[in-house]
This record gives sequence, C-alpha cells and structure tokens, in this order.
Amino acid sequence: MATTIIVPRLGWSMEEGTFAGWLKVDGERIKPGDVLFVLESDKSAEEIESLDAGILRIPPDGPQPGDKVTVGQVLAHLLAEGEAVPEIHVEKTVEVASVVIAPPITSPTVQRKQAISPRARRVARELGIDCNGLTGSGRNGRIRERDIRAATAGSSGGRLIPHTNIRRTIAARMVAGVTQAAPVTLTTKFDATNLVALRNQFKAADEIIPSFTDLIVKLTAVALRQHPLLQAQWRDDGLFVPERIDIAVAVDTEAGLLVPVLRAVNNQTLRQIVAQSRELIEQTRAGRLSADQMRDATFTITNLGGVGIDAFTPILYLPQCAVLGVGRIVREPAVQGDRIVPRDMLTLSLTFDHRVVDGAPAAQFLQTLRICLEQPAPWLIA
Amino acid sequence: MAISTRTERPLDLLTRLYRPMQVIRQCEEQLAKSHQRGLIHGACHTYVGQEAIAVGVCAHLRPDDAVFSTHRGHGHALAKGLPPRELIAELYGRATGCSRGRGGSMHLFAPEIGLMGTSGIVGACILQAAGAGYSFKLLKTERVAVAFFGDGAVNNGAFHEGLNLAGIWKLPVLFVCENNQFATEVPFSYSAGNPSVAARAAFYGLPGHEVDGNDVEAIYAIAGEAVRCARSGGGATLIECKTYRTRPHAEGMGDFTYRTREEVEEWKTRCPIRRLRERLLHENANGQPSSAALDAIDAEVARDISAAQQFAEKSPAPDPKTAATHVYEESPAPSPPTPLPRVQGRGGKGVPLSPVVGGGEPLTPLSPVLGGEGLGVRGRETREITYMKATHEALAEEMAGNPAIFVMGEGIGERGGNFKTTEGLFALYGPERLRDTPICERGFVGLACGAAMTGTRPVVDFMFADFILDSVGEILNQIAKMRYMSSGRIAMPILLRGCIGIGHSAATHHSGNYYPLYAQFPGLRVVVPSTPYDAKGLFKRALRCQDPVLFLEHRELLTTKGPVPEQDYEIDFGKAIIVREGRDVTVVALALMVRRTLEVCERLAARGISVEVIDPRTVSPLDGDTILRSVQKTGRLLIVDEAFAPFGLGAEVAAIVSDAGFDDLDAPIRRLHGAFTPTPYSPSLEHAVTPQVEDIERAIVDLLEE
Repeated sequence: MATTIIVPRLGWSMEEGTFAGWLKVDGERIKPGDVLFVLESDKSAEEIESLDAGILRIPPDGPQPGDKVTVGQVLAHLLAEGEAVPEIHVEKTVEVASVVIAPPITSPTVQRKQAISPRARRVARELGIDCNGLTGSGRNGRIRERDIRAATAGSSGGRLIPHTNIRRTIAARMVAGVTQAAPVTLTTKFDATNLVALRNQFKAADEIIPSFTDLIVKLTAVALRQHPLLQAQWRDDGLFVPERIDIAVAVDTEAGLLVPVLRAVNNQTLRQIVAQSRELIEQTRAGRLSADQMRDATFTITNLGGVGIDAFTPILYLPQCAVLGVGRIVREPAVQGDRIVPRDMLTLSLTFDHRVVDGAPAAQFLQTLRICLEQPAPWLIA
Repeated sequence: MAISTRTERPLDLLTRLYRPMQVIRQCEEQLAKSHQRGLIHGACHTYVGQEAIAVGVCAHLRPDDAVFSTHRGHGHALAKGLPPRELIAELYGRATGCSRGRGGSMHLFAPEIGLMGTSGIVGACILQAAGAGYSFKLLKTERVAVAFFGDGAVNNGAFHEGLNLAGIWKLPVLFVCENNQFATEVPFSYSAGNPSVAARAAFYGLPGHEVDGNDVEAIYAIAGEAVRCARSGGGATLIECKTYRTRPHAEGMGDFTYRTREEVEEWKTRCPIRRLRERLLHENANGQPSSAALDAIDAEVARDISAAQQFAEKSPAPDPKTAATHVYEESPAPSPPTPLPRVQGRGGKGVPLSPVVGGGEPLTPLSPVLGGEGLGVRGRETREITYMKATHEALAEEMAGNPAIFVMGEGIGERGGNFKTTEGLFALYGPERLRDTPICERGFVGLACGAAMTGTRPVVDFMFADFILDSVGEILNQIAKMRYMSSGRIAMPILLRGCIGIGHSAATHHSGNYYPLYAQFPGLRVVVPSTPYDAKGLFKRALRCQDPVLFLEHRELLTTKGPVPEQDYEIDFGKAIIVREGRDVTVVALALMVRRTLEVCERLAARGISVEVIDPRTVSPLDGDTILRSVQKTGRLLIVDEAFAPFGLGAEVAAIVSDAGFDDLDAPIRRLHGAFTPTPYSPSLEHAVTPQVEDIERAIVDLLEE
C-alpha cells in the first residue's frame, strides 16, 4: 500500500519551509529510520526520517532544492514492489459551523414604541426633526441616524439654533392660535392725517410725545367699550366677557417677541397710558419683564409699521378673541371731493376668532375704530 | 538595632541581645492592650514567646541585608530595626505607620532598613528571600537575605521550590523556620509526615540545623555560621527553631480548642527572655550585668514603648484622597531620547505607519491613523522582521545596556528558548543572566518577585502563558500589590512573558488567552501586541518601566513580519492604535484578531463598506478615549476577541462606550469572542472555537443591518 511522504511541521507555527534536497534517489529501497530529505524552517534545518518502508518514487515535477514547500504538501511516495503511484486526492476543507457570536440576550417580546437608536435621537434633536412618523431602516424598523439624515435631505448643510424657552412658548401659543381657534383676518385702510397732525402738536408743544401705538391703544379701548364681544373669550360652557380692558402690545426683542400688558386701559388717560407703556417697553428691552406682566391680556396690538409692512395676518393669542395689526403710515394720493390730495394713510389688519364673533360685528368694531382714528381728538379726552 | 558581631565577652553579647528581646515583648504586650481598646482595626498576630529567634538572627544582619517575613512579623520588623512607634502607628492605621496605613499587622514594610515586607500569604517570603539572594549574587554584593516563616509554610510548595532553587544556585539566604507547632490552629505533628523540618534541607543539598528556638545564644551561634556561609558564597542554610507562641494565633481569638491551658502555661515557664535573664544573673561572675541594670533596661524600654504608643495614638489618619495612590509608578521615568516621533498627546498628526501583516504582504492600502504616535521611518532605516525577532531585539538591546536584567525560564539558557526568545544571549551573558529553571513556576516567579524588590530586573519567560497559572498567587498577591503595600517604596520592575492563543492544535494546556484575568487586578500592566513594531516598542517600554508587565504574545503571530525601524523607540502603555481608518463601523480587535479583521476589511471595502479597526495593544491600561472617538464617528461598535466573552475585553469596551458614548450609538454593541470552552485539539473543533474571517465578516454585515 502506497505511503505518502509529506512536508512535516517543524515547531509550533510553521506553515511553510524550504526544501533543501533529497538524500535518497528515485527508486531506492527505504527502511524505517532512513533519512529521506532535508527541510529548512525559520528555526533550523532538519533531516527528515522515513517512518515507513518501501520503494521511493519521486515525481519529476516535485520540488527542487531551494523551493518553498507548504506543510502537508506531498513530496513523494513509498510503494510496494510493482505498485503504481496513486492519484492524489485533494481533501476539501470542511466548512465548520462556528459558535462565536456572543448571543444577544433576547428581551421578552413586549409591545414597544417605535425604536430609535441613541445616535439617531441625538441627531434628530440637533436638526430639529420630529421622529414621529419616520420609518426606520434598521432591524425591526429601528430608526437610525441615516433615516434622520434622509428626512432632512435637501435642507442639510444649515446650522442649528437650539430652542430657547421663549421660542418654544411662542411656538406653542402661535400653533394654538391657528389650530384651536377659527381665525379670520379683515383689513381696512384709513386716513391717518389727523392722527399724524395730532402727534405733531405734542411735538410742537414740547410735551411727552405719545407713540402711534399709544394713541391706537387708547382709541382701541374706546372702540372695545362699544363692542365688548371683541374681547370675549371662548370657553366650553359659554363666552366669558372680561370687564376690564387689558391690552397687550407686542414688542420685538432679541430673545423673541414679548407682549407686556397695559392694564385697565379703559380707565386711563392718554398720559397715563404713555407713562405705563414707556415703563413696560423699557423693562421688556432690559429683559426685566416678569411673567405676571405678560399675563391675562384681553386684546393684543402688534405694530409692524415701523418695519415697512402695510397689512398682514396677525395670529390670535388665545384665549383672546382678537388681535389688531397696525401697518405703516404712507403718504398717498387721495381723492377729496374732486381733488387729488396727499394724505397719510394707514392699514389695520384685525384677526378675530370666528367661534366668538361673526364677521359683521368684527367689521363694525373695525369701523368704529377707524372713525376714532380719523377724528381722534374727541375720543382721546374721554 | 544592628548588633556588633565583633569579638566580645559572651556575656556582654548576651546582654546586648536582652534589650531587643525586651523591646519586642513589651511592644507586643502594648499591642495586645491596644487591640482590646479597639485601637487596632484588623488582625494582630503577636510574637510573644518567640523573641529569641528574630533577635538571634537579626543580630548578624546589616541594614542592607534583606528580611522577608510572615503574618507574625512584628518581632522581625523590630529586630531588623523598625522603631516601635512606626509599628504601633501602622497597626493603628496611621499615616506615620511603617506602611503609611496601607498594611497593618500583616504587611509591614521598611525597605530603607531592609525590612522587605511581612506577608499575609504563607510561603511567599521563602521565594522572595531566594530572589533577594539572587539579586545579591548577580550584583556581586556580600548581602544576605533571610526568610522567617512558620511550620505552616514547610508543607507548602513554595518551601520545596524555594529551597531547591536556593540549593541549586547557591543563593546567600537563611531560611529560618520558627516551628511554633501550630499552623494557625492545626498542629504540626498532624500536618507533617516527617516531623523534622531541619532534616528536609538534605533533600535540597542544603545544610539544615535544628535549634532550641527559646535559646537566643544557640540561635545566635547557628545563625552566625549560616550568615558567614552565605556571605562567603557557600549558599543557603535551613534553620529550624523549635518554639511556641504563648498568645493566641491572633489577638481576640479563642485558644483552647486546639491546645490546653496547661501546655501554654508550661511553655511560659520556658520564656526566652526570662531564661536569658536568669542565665545572665547566674553567670555574672563579676556582678555584671546586675539585676538592677537589667531592671533599668526593662524600665527604659517601658518608657520608650509608652512614648511610641502615645506617638501612634496622636498620629493622623492617612488622607482618604490618597487611597488609590501607589498602585503604579507615579511619574514614569523619562525614557532615553528616541529619534522617532513618539506618542505625544492626543490627536497628534501621525506619519502613516504601515502595519504589514502576513509574511510581509500588506493586507490593507494603508492609511492607519495613530492613536498618537507615528512611525515615520520606512525604507532605509526600517526593515521587515518577524514578531519574534522584534522582541528578541528589544531584549538583547536592553540587556546590553542594563546589567540588572536577567532572564529566567525553562530552556532559555543555552538552548535559546522554545520560541528563540533568548537565542544567542547565553553566549554573551552566561548562566546567571540567562537562567534555566526547573519546572516550578510558582518558585521562580516568587523568586523573581524578590529579585525585582532588591535591585535587579527579572524577565520571566514562561514559554506558554498557560504555565503562568501555577504561579498566579505570586503574581496577583505579591507582584501586583507590592508597590501599593509598601506605599510606593518598593518598585516592581519585572516582565512576565508567555505565548497565548489558539492554533495548530496546541490543545487546551498550550493555548489559553488569559489577559482578561490579569486586567482585573490593579498594579499590573497587560500588553497584547499584534505587530512586530508594537511588540518591540512595548517590550522596550516594559523593560524600562518600574511596574510589573505581563507581555502576552499570540503564538500565531510569532513568525509574521512587519516593518520595524532600526532606531530605538518605545510605545507607551494605554495608547490604542487606529490600524485602519473607516467610517461605517468600528471594530476593536486584539492580537491575531487584528489581522483577521484587516482581511475582512479588504473584502468589505470591495462592497463599499468602510471599517475602522482599533487595536488597544494593551488591555491594562485600556485606551477608552480612542475607541470612543471612533464610535463617535461611526456609530457602530464590534469587539473581536479570541478570549472568552464573560467579563472580558468586549464587556469592558462595551461598558465604556455605552456609558460615555451612548448618544453616539446607532446600533447595539456587538461582541465576537472565542467559544466559552476549553480549547479542543482536533483542527475541525479548534477552527470552530475561534472567530474566523467569515465570522467577523458576518458580524460586521449583521451589525450594519441593525
């Protein structure tokens, strides 16, 4: 029976060696213990002995001295008398199942909320993405970072300004004003020439000069007294009509829009209103406004005239029923009799809650207010 | 308390020995009282009744001779010259104690006066004294080492291994057995098949003497002969002192379950101090010393002990903020200048290193970013050498420059080491520095510990890390804790090296990966390099640092090649290397698993998957920062480790990242470890228990789908 002569492993980790040459020749009779060939490893050169007997058959295409040989490689055969060299079978390495992955401990199946990776949650927070409704691409639908990035695709590359508490409060109130009420906006343009002239008289008199907003606050209170439903508040069991008229005035600050409240405007003279409003605006700009000073207004006035806006759609500040937007004063050609004359014109935008009042009463309020503004003097001394 | 050994009248000599015996006795009696008062927080083992032995032996010692002792070591400490107040303060747990409050009764250290420690582990002192003897011999001094131990130690392997090593290497050591007849409470008559300890010396080719342990004159005489023999190169001696402790094993313990009151009382009549006193008064032909003179000594000692007690009681407790100091060298010694850019802080720009693997074939189109250092040299100054050659170079270079380095191990002498670790060095440095050992791991590791404590730098070559386990008590209880126990005053410059890893059917006693075990213990550095470059740099660092280093070499890496510069360089511990940069997933891999992972990276790169591979290189300290930074980038982490999963590298890395990197994770952390089983022999079984390239690939792809 044929015996193979192979490259043996010398030492622990030898994978290949150098064949240094045969010490026997093809056809020679070999006894156990005969030295067959020399093999060199990294460590040493070893003479390799035969463990079996037989006639040595060295294949003509076998390794030559100096060739690299790998451990296990067949170098020759030992054959019995008259035996032929067998065909060499290359044994296929068997694929072995491996047991190396530390099995993740399976958690009991519970109905979970949409899973999201910590990283995805962090990135969503940074980018201001709401993860509700997103579909996760991870295992079992887990939302991964890439899902968040995909949701912002196109808008990526910007920078994130983290929310301040003021911003979050404003956002919540504004969303409520649109989603919880039934807002309608009416606009009307009026002739503010007299109002401008009136204000100029204060200037000429070197008196404390009321701002246009102060004047409008005073006259709005007059109009509200005639149309109290415009400050009625929707409640589940009915409309609540406050007695007092407390008008909030929107003030733009670096931190965001703030709305200090002028209290009991209906009982105050113009001079008192001016004083109160100056004090409030100063406190607002200095960041010293308390929460109490912004609470419980019954009506809001917001003035964008100073920044060149004519008309807009203010958003209700619940539970108030209405908000008045004040535009800029523009000197325009107006028809007076048959003449074209220059007049100072101003547009008012009133948003009201249609749940509380209908369009006609709201329009009537606006009309009253317009009359007051066009002929201000009698109403201001009220 | 060194006592002159010049020729003097025998009676004068004995009078000199009286005082230190009295100091020990009165100090112990004070400690017994203090224990009752609750001033001693832990155990207190007194030496009452055995004073003659410590005093009779230490009378021959110089301050630079070394004493190693046991849990009953107060007497040895005092006899070697420790001021009583430092002993009492230590037992009171005060900052002024000889171990600065870190040791207590069983861990007394004063290396400044040659008190190299008492130990709570029986037998360790025998091996450490042999190690000190080895140092003294290698350093060509006349110093001697003494091990004091009880009868409880002589049936322990350390006794057999230590005495045999001292015998074959003729080490200058005294092995002093204080046979007080009980190992804690188990009688020696029960424990020993051969009732004579002294007779056992013959087994090791040593002289052995039995002496009355309560007769200081007899002890002094025999110890003197043994010390002279040791100093003059005659080697070690075993002395068995028959004695008795007349107080309980430890203060506060019951005493009469294992011996009788009558027996104790009978032994008290043989009190070594009383006996000495009676002898002095009986033989004082010229009236010297007088009874009054001895009373005066007693009174003076009493005053000293009282003052020491007051000092201790007034001393401050150690600052709790220092509780974890002295675990490692505080400020690493500056290493010699290296021409290579070395690890410099974080985020330093590294020059690209080429981790070349597998017989010189680069597996990666390399852009490894370094955890700090760069290997800026290729070409002319950098050759490709094997891992084995790299550590050999490091050892050879350091041995050439540092005569204190010696290597111990089986077959590392003339043979040059099983893995050629010391090839050619024997011819250069001879048998004292290339020391072949018998197969007794506990013995030569304990000996190496004692050597490292006394001025030499041992390299222990275990061949296979599996063999280390026989010595693990010496490593974890002594080597790892020595700096701490001695409050930073004893350095432990020792390198313990051995092969780890599964492959080539080495089977279970030649293939373990034990690094997670050692990484659990403070005081050790555990190094597991994967490339020749890292191996050499870390080996050099290990041979220059003052802490014990376990240097574990994966056997399957020994013949792999890689670039190593000609110039001297070292790599600091605790600096991971980013072997390959990637963006999709971080793989932390160690040793052979680094190579396997790099192979996978190539395959995955073709599929557009970009893997970042981090090799921590040392598992203690472990560089969490580099891993965290990588996960911050990739969001995914896989740990690939051949060692077992439970409480292992994967668990540790995962814990670090889920703690400090939680918000960076885009998927669960995965671990791929070797199967939790001893290593099988058959190739088909062996293949199945380690992470293969396919397993790693599958794990990465699976993780990307999470």
